[in-house]
Amino acid sequence: MVERLGSRRVLILAALGAAVLVGVFSATNLASSTVYYLTPSEAFARTVATGQTVRLGGLVKAGSLSLRAPSFHGPSEFEFILTDGNVDVRVLGRGAIPGLLREGAGAVVEGSFAADATFVATQVIAKHDEVYTAPKAGATPAHRTSFP
Amino acid sequence: MIETTFWRGSVPRVRPLLGIVAAASFVVASYMALVWAPTDAVQGDVYRILYVHVPLAWLAYLAFVIVFLASIGWLWTKRPVFDAIAVASAEIGVLFTGLFLVAGSIWAKPTWGVWWTWEPRLVTTAIMFVMYVGYLLLRSLSPDFSRRATRAAIFGIVAVIDVPIVHLSVLWANSLHQLPTVLRASGSPALDSAMLLTLMVSLAAYTLIYVYFMSARISLELARQERSWATT
Repeated sequence: MVERLGSRRVLILAALGAAVLVGVFSATNLASSTVYYLTPSEAFARTVATGQTVRLGGLVKAGSLSLRAPSFHGPSEFEFILTDGNVDVRVLGRGAIPGLLREGAGAVVEGSFAADATFVATQVIAKHDEVYTAPKAGATPAHRTSFP
Repeated sequence: MIETTFWRGSVPRVRPLLGIVAAASFVVASYMALVWAPTDAVQGDVYRILYVHVPLAWLAYLAFVIVFLASIGWLWTKRPVFDAIAVASAEIGVLFTGLFLVAGSIWAKPTWGVWWTWEPRLVTTAIMFVMYVGYLLLRSLSPDFSRRATRAAIFGIVAVIDVPIVHLSVLWANSLHQLPTVLRASGSPALDSAMLLTLMVSLAAYTLIYVYFMSARISLELARQERSWATT
């Protein structure tokens, strides 16, 4: 019985050890090697090739966002400057506009650089933060359900 | 044995009451989430899915931590009730992880603009879902009870490591998902007090539903264990 109990403990410890190993390995490796997007600065530092598909993330520069809908049912066209504070990238694209895409807030664009360093986006994703508050009296939420 | 009187006597007597309390608190939580809580300054009413998404995430974490603890319990004591707890919690956890992914997807489309993207939180959650589906499959591989329970227990101990990885994945650099709202590194929760109260009531209601499901599923598994031993 003593021996049985001993082997069980070995089994539990081995399983726990394996769990910790897997955890430490994946946490350290995944966290550093999985990059969901590059900032504009990182994209320029790495000299991303023209035409290579990448994701860029940053803030939509205040006063730079313009949305157009050429036809009622067709995809919207969007244009804005994506910035990380140091490097600005002009982004052009067409597709669905997220409800939370707005100036001064985060956005992630997927696409590639054109020869003139403009970023041609095939998709734009809005990023939002973890803060929730009731709107001030008279204010309307920033979230849009219809577009120009 | 203690567990026989507990699972055969006390639990079935309390279960109907537990079901009523769980259902009533779910109604209260839904009313608070949909009507009573204020709208959000940025997201508008769409943020209200938070009151479903976050409790589902909490239940997924809770369910898999219970699988982990029950797995240790089985390896340590070899009492079959721990295997029943583990399988019950894993099944319920898979259910809630699936709903958690669906609710997140429904929230992502109107806010982020996409149903799905290969972002760390989303990927690690999908891995968690697939791992516990694998756990349930592993349980059907061996007809021998003790061997199956031991294999499942080892898997249940190792797989739990994805729970903290899922939770912490939002802290990795350059990810899309927002940071934790309640369990923040810097001080108090980033919600209005009415929103926080609604979230707490929702968490309690969903936890009661989990407890109710667990009591039913564990009793079923114990009956199944007895039946299989009676026939062999």
